[in-house]
Amino acid sequence: MPGWAGRRSDVADQDLDALLARMARTKVNRRSFLAASGLAGTSAFLAACSSSGGTPSPSTATSQAPSGTAAASASATSTAAASQPEVESELFMYNWSDYISETNRDTFKERFGVETFQYDVYADNEELIAKLQAGASGYDIAAPTAEYLPAMVQEGFIQKLDLARIPNTKHINKSFKKLWWDPTDEYQVPKDYGTTGILYRSDLLSKIPASWREFYDMVKGEASGKTVFVTSQGDVFTFPLKMLGYSLNSVDKAELEEARKILLECAPHLLALDSDTYGDKMATGEAVLTLGWTGPLGQELAPLVEENKAGYVVPSEGTLFWMDTWVMLTDAPHPNAAYAWLNFIHEPEIQAEETNYNLYATCNDAAKEFVDPEILNDPAIFPPDEVIASLEGAQDTSGNTQRSDIMEEFKQAIGG
Amino acid sequence: MAAIASAPRRDAETSRFRSRLVTFALVFPTGLWYVALLVAPLLIVLVFSFGIRARNGGYEPAFVLDNYVRALSRPEPFITSVQMALAGTIGCLLVGLPLAYFIATRAGRRKGLLILLLVVPFWTSFLIRTYAWLIVLGPDMGLAGWVQTLTGDDRFTILGTPVAVLIGLVYGYLPLMVFPLYVTLERMDRSLVEASKDLGAGRWATFRQVTLPIALPGLVTGSILVFIPMMGEYVIPQILGYGKTYLMGNALVSDFLENRNWPNGSARAVGLIVLMFVTIATYLWFVNRGRGSREVSVL
Amino acid sequence: MSAPAIPAAGALTQRKRARPTDRGASLVEGWLRSHAILVYLFLYLPIFVVVLFAFNDTTRRVTQWGGFSLRWFEVALNDSVVHRALTNSFIVAVPNAILATLFGTMAALGLQRVGKRARLVFDALTYTSVIVPEIVIALATLVMFASGFDAIEAVFGLKLNLGHPTIIAAHVLFNTSLVLLLVRARLSGMDRSLADASYDLFATPWRTFTQITLPQLLPAIVAGFLLAFTFSFDDYVITTFTSGPGSSTLPLFIFGQVKRGVTPETNAVATMMLAFTLAMLIVGQWLLRRQARHTSGPTEKGSMTGIIADAR
Repeated sequence: MPGWAGRRSDVADQDLDALLARMARTKVNRRSFLAASGLAGTSAFLAACSSSGGTPSPSTATSQAPSGTAAASASATSTAAASQPEVESELFMYNWSDYISETNRDTFKERFGVETFQYDVYADNEELIAKLQAGASGYDIAAPTAEYLPAMVQEGFIQKLDLARIPNTKHINKSFKKLWWDPTDEYQVPKDYGTTGILYRSDLLSKIPASWREFYDMVKGEASGKTVFVTSQGDVFTFPLKMLGYSLNSVDKAELEEARKILLECAPHLLALDSDTYGDKMATGEAVLTLGWTGPLGQELAPLVEENKAGYVVPSEGTLFWMDTWVMLTDAPHPNAAYAWLNFIHEPEIQAEETNYNLYATCNDAAKEFVDPEILNDPAIFPPDEVIASLEGAQDTSGNTQRSDIMEEFKQAIGG
Repeated sequence: MAAIASAPRRDAETSRFRSRLVTFALVFPTGLWYVALLVAPLLIVLVFSFGIRARNGGYEPAFVLDNYVRALSRPEPFITSVQMALAGTIGCLLVGLPLAYFIATRAGRRKGLLILLLVVPFWTSFLIRTYAWLIVLGPDMGLAGWVQTLTGDDRFTILGTPVAVLIGLVYGYLPLMVFPLYVTLERMDRSLVEASKDLGAGRWATFRQVTLPIALPGLVTGSILVFIPMMGEYVIPQILGYGKTYLMGNALVSDFLENRNWPNGSARAVGLIVLMFVTIATYLWFVNRGRGSREVSVL
Repeated sequence: MSAPAIPAAGALTQRKRARPTDRGASLVEGWLRSHAILVYLFLYLPIFVVVLFAFNDTTRRVTQWGGFSLRWFEVALNDSVVHRALTNSFIVAVPNAILATLFGTMAALGLQRVGKRARLVFDALTYTSVIVPEIVIALATLVMFASGFDAIEAVFGLKLNLGHPTIIAAHVLFNTSLVLLLVRARLSGMDRSLADASYDLFATPWRTFTQITLPQLLPAIVAGFLLAFTFSFDDYVITTFTSGPGSSTLPLFIFGQVKRGVTPETNAVATMMLAFTLAMLIVGQWLLRRQARHTSGPTEKGSMTGIIADAR
C-alpha cells in the first residue's frame, strides 16, 4: 500500500482496522494481495537489494534512561562511536523452546556483559497472548508469529522500537518490510519465516502430491487412515481454501461453507490431528501424508530425506507464509539489553548461525553468504521464486465464529 | 486434687470461647485460600461469561446471554466427556479397589512402601510417561505391533482408539482412587471381618456387609476425585487417542487459547461447574440416604 | 510404650482351617496378590520404557530406537536450564505440600466442630475447587493476580511480580482440598471411643490429639502430603499461567520442548530422578529397620507402618 511507506507515526487504530476490514471483505485476488503486501515481483525477492555494505550508522544515544539494575562492564561494541546507554546485566527472553542458537546466546552474553540470560519457554503463540492478555509482564523480548502483531500493538503489549538503535535491520530484505502486520516496521524485527505444506513418504505412495487437489484425492484414497493434519486452525483452513482458489484468510460465508464441506469429507480419513508427534508418525510409516511444517525434515525424517524416501512440497495452488518476529514487550525491565539483542541478532554471521541451527529461512540478505549451502539450496527451507509468488501471509482470524464452529465440527468428525 | 471442682461456670464460658477460637483458627487458612484463590477468580469467570469477545480477543464488558445460549446449544463435548469420565472412573475402580484392599489388609510391613511406589512414577514427567505409552502400545515396537505379527492383521491398532485412552486414563488417575480407598480400608478392624466369618457369613456377604460400608467414604471420595478431573482431561485423549475425540477440555482450550473468546469459554466453564456440582450433590445425597444419621461425612 | 499385641481373634479361626470355604480363601488370596503384582507391572512398564529411552542414541525421535548411548545423561547434567527448572519444581512443590497438608488437616479437624451450615458452605467450596477445569482457574487466577498487582502498585507503589509465590499459592488451593478430602475420609467413622477414653483419663485435649487422633490420621496426612507434592511437581497448566521470568518448572520446560521435538534428555532427567528417589527409599527403609532393631521388640515398630500400627 503506497500510502503506508515512510509514515513514521503510530499506526492509528482506525487505519489498521480499515486495512484489516478491507482485506477481509474483498475477495482478495492473489496478485493484488501480494502487491499490497509487498511480496510481488519474484525477482525482487531473492535479489540482494538495499543491503549494500557500507558503514553502519553510529547509534545515537537516545534518551532511554538506563535501567536501575546494576550495569556490568562492556556496553554495546561493534558500532563504535557515540555514547551508548549501558546494557543491563540481565535479559529476560520469552520464546519458543530451543529457538535460538546456544552459540549466539553465549556470544551475546560475553560481548555485552549480560550475566543472566533468562530463557523461558511458551508452547505456542496462544499461550503467550493469553498470558499477556491476562496481565502478565516481566519479560523483555518475545518471539510471536507475525499474524498476532496487530492485536499485540493494539492491546499495548509491545512497544515501538527506536530504529536508530537497531541499524542492522538494514540487512533485512525489503520484501519483509512494510508488511501489513507492521507497516512502519517499528514494532518488530523479523526472525525467520517458513511455509505450511505437505510432508510425504514418497516410498509409501504412488506419487508425490503436487497440489492441494492431489493431496485431497490421496487423503480420501491411498492415504486414507494414514494422514495427519496439524491442529492449528489457520493451517487447516489453508488446504480447502487454497484448493478452491480463495484466500486462506477468507471470512466469506459462502467460501467458508465450501471449505467446511471439504474438511468434513476428509475428516473420517484422518489418522490423527496432531501438531507435535507427526514427524515421528511419518518416520515410522504410520502416516504417509501430513499437512504440516518443515521441522521434521531436519529431525525425525532426516535419514529418510537423504534416501529420498520423504520430503516436503508447497502445493501449486499456493499456501500460507508465516514469519516469526522479535518484539520488545512494553515495560521491558531491561530495554538496553533488549535493543542490544535486537541489533546483535541481525549481524550477518550471527543471523546465519541462527539459520544453520534452527533450519528456518532468514530474512537477512547479508547473512546468506554465511549460511550452510545445503540449507540455502533446500527448497523446503528457502523456497524458490515461483513458490514465493504463490505465498499468502496468514492473518489472525481467531475471532471469526464461523471458522471456529467449522473447526469444532471438523474435530468432532475426525476418525469417523 | 480438690481444685478440680472449683469455679465451673466461668471455666465453661472461657473454654467454650477458647474452643470457638480453636475451631476458627483451624479452618481459617483454608477458608482464606478458598476466598482469595477460588471465589475471587470464579467471580471473574462469572463476570466474563456475560461479556463479549474484545476485538483482539479476551474480554470486553457487556451483559449478554449469548455465550450461555451458544454453550447450551453445543452439548456434544460435554456428553463425550461424561462418557469418557464414566468409563475411566469405572476402570479406576475395578483396578484400584482390589489393590487398595490388598495393600491395606495384606501387605503388612510393606504398606508404606507400596503406597509410596504408587506415586513414584508420577515424579517423572507426565508427557514422557504418555509418550512411553505411545511406544508400549504402538504399531512399531509395541503391543499393537506384536498383535499384528501374531495375527497377520496389518491394520490392527490400539493407539487412536478409545481403548488406548482408557488405559491412559486409568494409568494417570489410579492413585486418586487408591489413596482414599486405602486410607479408609486401612483403619478397618480385621477382627470385624473375622467375627463375621465366625458367625457363618460367606465371603461375599462379609464383603458386602462389613467391608464395603467401611470402605464407602473412601469409595465416594475416590470416585469424585477421579471422575471430576477426568471431565476436564484432554491431553491424554489428544496424545493416545490421536486427537479423535472432542472433549470439554478441548473446547475450553479452543475458546480460551485458540479463539481467545474468554466470554464463551467462561460460559462453558460455568455450565460445566454447575452441572458437575449438581451431579456430585445428587450422588452424595443418594449415598447418604441409606445410611441414616451416620453420614458418609467425607463431604 | 508398646501397645498390647493385636487381640487373638485370629486364634479362633486357626482351628477352623479345615473348612471347605478355605479353598476359596486361598483363591481369593491368590487373586488379590496377582492383581496387585499386575497393577505394579502396569504402573512401571512405561517407566521402564522411559528409562530405556534415556539411552536412546537419537535426537527428537519419540518412538524410535536409534541405538545405545549415554550422551543424553551428559547433556542433562550440563544443561543449566534443566537444573534451573528442576530446582524451581522443588521450590514450588515442597512448600506447597507442606502448606496444603497443614491447612487441609487443620480444616478437616475444624470442620468436625462447626455447625451444619458452615460445613455445607465449606463442602461446596471444596467440591468447586476440584470441579473447576485447570485452564479456567489458571487464566482467572492470572487475571486476578495481574489486576491485584496493578492495584497494589497504584496504592502502595509496590511492584509485585509473578513468580514462585504465585505458583505456590495457586497450587495450594487444589492440594488443600485434596488433603482435606483424604483426612475427612479417614476421620469419618473413626473410632471415637479411644478419644473418649483418653478424656476420661483426664488427658488434656492437646495430649489426646497428639497421642490418639494424630497417629490415627497419619496415613491420610502422609498420603495427602505425597499427593500434594506429586501434583504440584507434575503440574503444567496452572503453573504456565502463574509463573514469571525465571520460575519455570520442569513440566514447562518439557512441554515447551514438544513443538521442537522432545529429546531423550528429558528421559535422562527422569531416569536420574527415579534413581535418586529409589535410592532414598531403600536407604530410608534400611535406616528405619536398623533403628527398629536397636530400639524395641520384633514387631513392625520403626517402619512407617509400624508407627501407624502402634497407634492402634
